[in-house]
Amino acid sequence: MTKKINEKKCGSAFGPISRRSVLKGTGAVGLTAAASSLPFSAALAEEVTLRWWSPQASPAQVAAYKYQIDTFEKAHPGVKVKFEKTSDEGYAPQLAAAFASGKVPNMVTHLPSFACSNYWRNGLLEPMNDVINAVGADKYYDGANDIYEIDKGQYSATGIGNGAANMMWLRKDLMEKAGIEKAPVTWDELRSACQKMQGGGVYGAPLPYAKNSMTTLTIIGFIHLAGGHVFNQNLDVDLVTDEAVNALEFYRSMRELCPPGATNYSWGQSLTAFVSGGTATGIYTGRVLINVNKQNPKIADHVTCETYPRISADVSPWTFNAFPSVFIPKAAQNMAETKKLAAWLFNADGYIKQMHGAPGHLLPVLKTIAEDPRYQDNDIIRKYPTEVEKMSRNAAAGKNLGWETTKHKANDKAGAVVNSGVLAELVQRVVLNDEKPREVLKDTAMKIEAIMKG
Amino acid sequence: MSADTTAKLPWFRRSYRNFSLEEKYAVLGMILIAPTVMTFCAVIAYPLIAAIYLSFFSIYTPTMEGHWVGFSNYATLLQSGEFWRSLWNNIIWTVGTLTLQILFGILVAMMLHQNMVFRSLARSLVLFPYFLSTVVAVLVWKWLFNDLYGVLNHLFMWAGVIDMPVDWLGKMPNAMLSLIFVGAWKYFPFVVIAVLARLQSIPEELYEAAKIDGAGVFARFFDVTLPQLKDVLVVIILLRTIWDFKEFDLINLMTGGGPIIATQTLSLMVYKEAFALNQMGASSAVAVLMMLVMLVFMALYLRKAKGPSE
Repeated sequence: MTKKINEKKCGSAFGPISRRSVLKGTGAVGLTAAASSLPFSAALAEEVTLRWWSPQASPAQVAAYKYQIDTFEKAHPGVKVKFEKTSDEGYAPQLAAAFASGKVPNMVTHLPSFACSNYWRNGLLEPMNDVINAVGADKYYDGANDIYEIDKGQYSATGIGNGAANMMWLRKDLMEKAGIEKAPVTWDELRSACQKMQGGGVYGAPLPYAKNSMTTLTIIGFIHLAGGHVFNQNLDVDLVTDEAVNALEFYRSMRELCPPGATNYSWGQSLTAFVSGGTATGIYTGRVLINVNKQNPKIADHVTCETYPRISADVSPWTFNAFPSVFIPKAAQNMAETKKLAAWLFNADGYIKQMHGAPGHLLPVLKTIAEDPRYQDNDIIRKYPTEVEKMSRNAAAGKNLGWETTKHKANDKAGAVVNSGVLAELVQRVVLNDEKPREVLKDTAMKIEAIMKG
Repeated sequence: MSADTTAKLPWFRRSYRNFSLEEKYAVLGMILIAPTVMTFCAVIAYPLIAAIYLSFFSIYTPTMEGHWVGFSNYATLLQSGEFWRSLWNNIIWTVGTLTLQILFGILVAMMLHQNMVFRSLARSLVLFPYFLSTVVAVLVWKWLFNDLYGVLNHLFMWAGVIDMPVDWLGKMPNAMLSLIFVGAWKYFPFVVIAVLARLQSIPEELYEAAKIDGAGVFARFFDVTLPQLKDVLVVIILLRTIWDFKEFDLINLMTGGGPIIATQTLSLMVYKEAFALNQMGASSAVAVLMMLVMLVFMALYLRKAKGPSE
């Protein structure tokens, strides 16, 4: 039996009335009475406020959003847009509470594709087909929106950018000093390079061992870099494998080459560890480039990136792309204006400003923008053309838990698996508690199976 | 209908003008108390009943849709190691931080009770941690604990106490000890305020008499001060136990319950079930069990608050 808990029907002389309608009615009477006492009630009634949530809000990005909001408000009198910051770790509980209370934002940007698929499957999102058509489906790179097409012909979201989240960042000056001639390709080479470069207050790598989403997403990448996967192509949990054991063993062996506080590292701390010069290698998107140039310019000429090393050269690289999205909750008010705002984000001038807010971190999903000279006209993009090209190429071929390989089905429970933290716990049990990987993998597989059934 | 017959009817079948004066007072009383009762129902009774009700369902948080599962949530919880581990963590955290709060609190209150230079300023400054927002306090402490640029590690390394930075928040028992210490730092001013107020009302004659009897500093503390503080300390301990037991923000921001679930308390488990795992029913079940534990402390507090006259 399935029923809507918060909308239990109760009888009355006027027929069945839901509790929510009674509350709405009471609220409406109250609001009408209050509004009629105001001298400018008509003007107030016409004003529409749209709420925009995003976890990406560096000062430069917020400045770009402000430009987009200002131009939108100017073009749409009577519509106000309010930007509200969320976070990579905090969006899931905030959205769960928002959906449960019905007080949803109008538009959410930059959340990973697997978050959208989960909400879509539960009927919480508005199809984005109108927005994609308004932007111009032919302007996107081929297949750029495939990952959001959970049901045939229906898009749960649209891409706002691409990102290569697990690029390996290197310090060429430290490599030269340690006598390392080429970037590590395999795990053995990476470990050896980190050992050589570690010392004098500099650690080898800022890999996360915390109980958070970065650890979860990183270990998923390592399992793939060992040639394994979390789910098989039919989406059955397939985690108790030699590849996953190898990934965990290697990850454990890297602990001594990471700073002590890596047990609490999330994206921000891991990024700062490399940018500040605390570690010789890094694992992050292209945000490294702008941060190094702004916060530690003395190493800016020495940084470069490569795809993250794998167990052997025979295994293909695996780039984690969150496929940052734009989606609209179905319960959002003022849907027509909201869709206009979503499409407005892709207007060339505003979109380019947004990409330049974090150059290299977010890469355009519109080919028309990538080719636009105004996009290319940026100090960071000009200074690091090879790195930006590498990230663009790998992000385009990137995957995540919602779509592990092109042969896999779309996994609409991937968001629930990531948010549950069971994969981060797997890492902590193996690395911090020194438990046997295979035993912990069996336990974790059971937990994931329960999530998939739930 | 005669007046006698009307008077025999129950009150709800008569018009107000036929009420006796006593009944009219009763109605007025009900009208006056109604706002309080309604507020109580809205902010206490409704959430409580809703939590108990939800705990019998399996509910997906974002949609709030679900189905009846009876006592299954409770059975699953009581069989899970995570619940018992969280309860144990809760007890360690509460006992640990409370003990430090009481010790620091009494010590500082005694110091501030002495005649000293800038006593008023010191009394104001000591309240600072209590008034500081938890988010700000946690940010400051996380910076102090940081491995690469934290002051604590630099200080200890400079002093030669350690060779390598210590992982204060990511390893056990460091994480729990750090939490207990920061919790004590944040909340000991509450103890200071209460104890200081009581210290100022202890008659000076008691100390003079003790001195005449030859009591030293320690004897005066254990035989005069402590017995006089007993009543206020019992109330402080009960109140702070209730507040510390349900502490959420400080622990969630400092460690998020990690490593693994080594610092996860029941409050964090409620949050995790509701918003990370989207299991509102299971979350409500944890909340109800947590409430039952807290009811014990609440009963003790109420009993104490009634005082010896009853």
